[in-house]
Amino acid sequence: MRISLNVNDQEQAVEADGGESLAELLRTRLELTGTKVACGEGTCGSCTVLLDGRAVLSCLTLAAACDGAVVRTVESGGPLLERLQQAFTAEDGFQCGFCTPGQLMSAVALLERTPHPGRDEIVQAMSGNLCRCGAYEGIGRAVARAAEGG
Amino acid sequence: MAKLVKTEAVVEGRTEERWTLVEEDATPEWALDATPRPVGEPATRLTAAARVSGAARYTSDVRLPGQLETLVLRSPHANALLVSIDLDAARGVPGVRCAIGPGDAPDFDGQPLLTDKPQYAGAAVAAIAADSQAAAAAGLEALNPKWEALGFVTDLDQALERQDFLEPPSDEERGDVEAAMREAATVIEVEYLAPAQMHNSMEPHCAVADWRPDGLTMWSSTQGIYQGRSQLSEAFGLDPDKVRVICEYMGGGFGSKFGCGPEGILAAELSRRCKRPVRLVYSRRDENLTAGFRTPARVSFKIGAEPDGTLVAIEASAVMGMGTGGWAYPILETTKSLYACPNVHAMVLPVRQNLGAAAAFRAPGVMEGTWALEQALDELAIELDVDPLDLRRRNHTDVDPGNGRAYTSKRLLESYDKAAELAGWASRDELRGEGRIRRGMGCASQYWWGGGGPPAYADVRIGATGKPVLSVGMQDLGTGSITACAVVAAERLGVAVSDITVRAGDTDLAGHGPFSGGSMTLASIAPAVRSAAHHVRTQLLDLASDMFEIAAADLDLVDGEVRSSDGTLRRPIVDVTEKLGNAWVTGVGSRAPNPQGLAVNTFGCQIAQVAVDTLTGLVTVERVVAVHDVGRIVNPMGARSQVLGGVLQGIGFALTEERVVDPTTGTVLNPGFEDYKIPTIADLPEVVCEFVGEPDPRLALGIKGLGEPPIIPTPGAIGNAVAHALGMRIREAPYTPRRVLEALEQA
Repeated sequence: MRISLNVNDQEQAVEADGGESLAELLRTRLELTGTKVACGEGTCGSCTVLLDGRAVLSCLTLAAACDGAVVRTVESGGPLLERLQQAFTAEDGFQCGFCTPGQLMSAVALLERTPHPGRDEIVQAMSGNLCRCGAYEGIGRAVARAAEGG
Repeated sequence: MAKLVKTEAVVEGRTEERWTLVEEDATPEWALDATPRPVGEPATRLTAAARVSGAARYTSDVRLPGQLETLVLRSPHANALLVSIDLDAARGVPGVRCAIGPGDAPDFDGQPLLTDKPQYAGAAVAAIAADSQAAAAAGLEALNPKWEALGFVTDLDQALERQDFLEPPSDEERGDVEAAMREAATVIEVEYLAPAQMHNSMEPHCAVADWRPDGLTMWSSTQGIYQGRSQLSEAFGLDPDKVRVICEYMGGGFGSKFGCGPEGILAAELSRRCKRPVRLVYSRRDENLTAGFRTPARVSFKIGAEPDGTLVAIEASAVMGMGTGGWAYPILETTKSLYACPNVHAMVLPVRQNLGAAAAFRAPGVMEGTWALEQALDELAIELDVDPLDLRRRNHTDVDPGNGRAYTSKRLLESYDKAAELAGWASRDELRGEGRIRRGMGCASQYWWGGGGPPAYADVRIGATGKPVLSVGMQDLGTGSITACAVVAAERLGVAVSDITVRAGDTDLAGHGPFSGGSMTLASIAPAVRSAAHHVRTQLLDLASDMFEIAAADLDLVDGEVRSSDGTLRRPIVDVTEKLGNAWVTGVGSRAPNPQGLAVNTFGCQIAQVAVDTLTGLVTVERVVAVHDVGRIVNPMGARSQVLGGVLQGIGFALTEERVVDPTTGTVLNPGFEDYKIPTIADLPEVVCEFVGEPDPRLALGIKGLGEPPIIPTPGAIGNAVAHALGMRIREAPYTPRRVLEALEQA
C-alpha cells in the first residue's frame, strides 16, 4: 500500500509491502542504515526510533501502520540528540556502537518526556536497550550528562 | 634492512613457531618511568563521530547495486538424513536467482558447508539467493525438504558415555600425584558444572560478497580480515592478492568471528554463481544455533594440601561439550600454571555432541576453568579455615610451573593486596547478616597470556597538511584498538590524537595486522605503529633541521610544533610539511619478537560483593573490585571500558546466561534475548578498576593485552561471594533464583 510519512523532517511517499517493518522501510527503501537490527524480534532495543515522539521498536512496527506518522531516527539531528551524541562520546557510552543508535533514541524519548531524570528513571528507560559490550556505565553517565546540559 | 627471524608465539595458550619478517628498528624504547604523552592519558574514540551519528557502515549496512539477499535452510533435527529436497521448485520462484544444496558449496573447516547429513539442529542444508528477502523466503518455502530423523546426543554425560571425542583427550602429569595425595594432610573432592554461554554480539554474523572476474571482494563482520582472506583464497583456489576483505566497522565478536566464517564462504559461492553481489545476514536464532558458544563443562578436582593451605597435589579432569567443532580450549591451564603445586594431573575430554560447533568466547576455556578452580580453592580454604586470599598468596609462584619459565613480569601479589584494600576484604564477615538478604564477598585470581607478537606491520605518511595518516592491516571490533594505535603514533609525531586519521579494516590498505583476539591485538600492532611513526618523525626532524639550520638532535615535535631544545624555535609542524607540496613523507614499521624463553602472562585479582535474597533466590552483584596487571595502559578510558565489559559478561555467565537444550528434540530452546538473558543496565554493579602493572620491562613498549583478563575472575569471585553469603556452595552456574532456592531448601 502507498503510505506517506515524515522521516527526519522530510516527507516521504513510499509503497510498503504488507509485512514490511518500519526498520526494513528505513534501512532498505530510505537507505537510512543508522537504525540497526540486532534481533528482529523486539527483544534488544537496537532498532529503537521515535514514532510521533514515542520510542518504538521499528522491527516490530508495521510500515503500513505508519501512514501520516512522524518518524525520527539517529540521523535526525537536533540539539538534544547532538548533546546526547557528544555525551556518549565523552563518557565512552559504547564500544562497538551497534546498539548505540537505539540507545540514543531511547535517551531522546526519555529526556523529551523527563528533562531531568533521576538515576532510577534513567535505568528504567534504558533497560530495554541491550549492549553486549557492557558499556552501561558510560551510557547511564552520558544520559545524565546530556540532561544536565552536556 | 629487513631480515627473517624464527620466533615462538603463544596464541590463547597454544604455542606456534613462526618465521617472521622484521625491519631493523632504531626506535628508542621509552624509559620505564617515562610518561610519554599522550600515552596513558584518556582519549575518546576516534570512531565515535561515525558510530554515534549512524553513519558508520557495518557489514550488514553494505548495499551494492544489484545485491541479492540470502536465506539458508537449516536442519530442524539434531541428527538427520535429508531424503529429498526440491531445489528446482525454489529456482522457479519469481525473484529467486540461485538455489544450492548439499555438495554445492566448498567445505568449511573440513566439513561440507551444505550437508544432507546434518549433525545438529541449525546445520546449513541449502541456500537461496534472491532479489529480496521476501523472494528468498518464498524460495525457502518451495524447497519442501523431507527428513529421516536419527538418534542424537546433546547431553554432556551421555556424550562422554559414547566416548566420541572431537579431538583425542589430553592427559598430562607432572610429579607424582598419587603418592603426594596419599601423604596430604587434607584432601577435598569437588565438581562443578559450567553452562554453555552464547556470544550474542549485537551485530550478527554477516557477509557481503562481490565475486568478479578480476577477484573477490568480501565485506565481513570479522575479527581477522587476513584470516578471512586466507580462508577464502583456500576455499576457492584464488590467489590471496585477488581476495580483498573489508571490515569498516564491526558490531562485536567476542571470539565468534575469526575469519569470514561459513557465512562468508556461502555468500561468495552464491555471488560466484549469480554474478551479482550477495548479502547474507544471520538471524538472532541462527546466531544461537550455529555461530558458536563457550563450551559447557564438568570440571572435577581432587586437591591435597598441607594444613596451612600449601598445595601438594591436584588431580583435575574436565569434560568439555564441543558440539560439532571448535578446539579443546585450555580449560585446565590455570590448574597447571596459576599456583605452585609440584604434583598435577590434568585430563581434558572434549566430547562431540549433536549441537553447533563451539567457538572461542573471551578467555575460552580459561574463564570457566578459573571459575571452577577458584571455587575449589575457596572450598579448601574453608575446610582448612585459612583466609582465601592468604591461601592464594601461600601458593604463589615466580616461575610458570607449567613450563618452568620465568615471567617477563608478574604483579599478582600486589593485585591481591590492592584488591583486598579496595574491597574492604578484612571486614568481609561483617557484611553477611542473618535476615532475608545475605551478603558475601569472594575473590578470584586471573591468569592469561596477552604478550602479542609478530607479524604486524603499520605505515604512516604525512603530507602538506601536517596531519598524519596511519594504516594498519587490522580491524577494530569495538575495543578501541584503532584509537590506541593513534595514541601511540601521536607520541612520536607530536600531534593531537584527534589529528590522526587511522585507516584499517581492509586487506588492500596495509600489510598484515593481527586478528582482534587473544588479548594480543594492541601488544602486537603498537610497536609496529610506533616504529613507523618514528621513521616519519626522523624524516620530519631532518627536514626541519635543513629549514631552520638547527641540528636534528636538538629538535623535538611537541603539541603540533617543532621546537628546539634551547627554546628559541617554536613553529607549527605544518610550516615544515607545507613545503612538501604533493609529496609525502612515509614510514613503515614492523613488530619484533618477544624475548624467547620467558613466559608472558597477565595477572589480576577481582573481589565481588553480592546480595542474595533468600526469599526470591535473586543474586545481585553489588560491587566488583577489579585489579589487573596488564603492563602499560595506553588509553585509560578504553582500558576501563574493557574491564567493565569483561566484568558484565562474567556476571552474565554467573547469574543468567545458559543455553537450554531440549533433551527430546535436541534443539536450543532459548535462541533469543527473550529467554537467553544477557545483563542490562539494571544489572550494572559499582565497578572499581585499578591497574597495578607498570610497563613490562621485557616487552615492546611494556604493553600486554586486556581483552580477556577482566572476564576471567568475575564468575569465580561471584561464586565464592555467593558461598560466603549463604554459608554453602552452589556448584552449577548460572546462579539462577531456581538454583539458589533449591540449594536453600536442601540445606
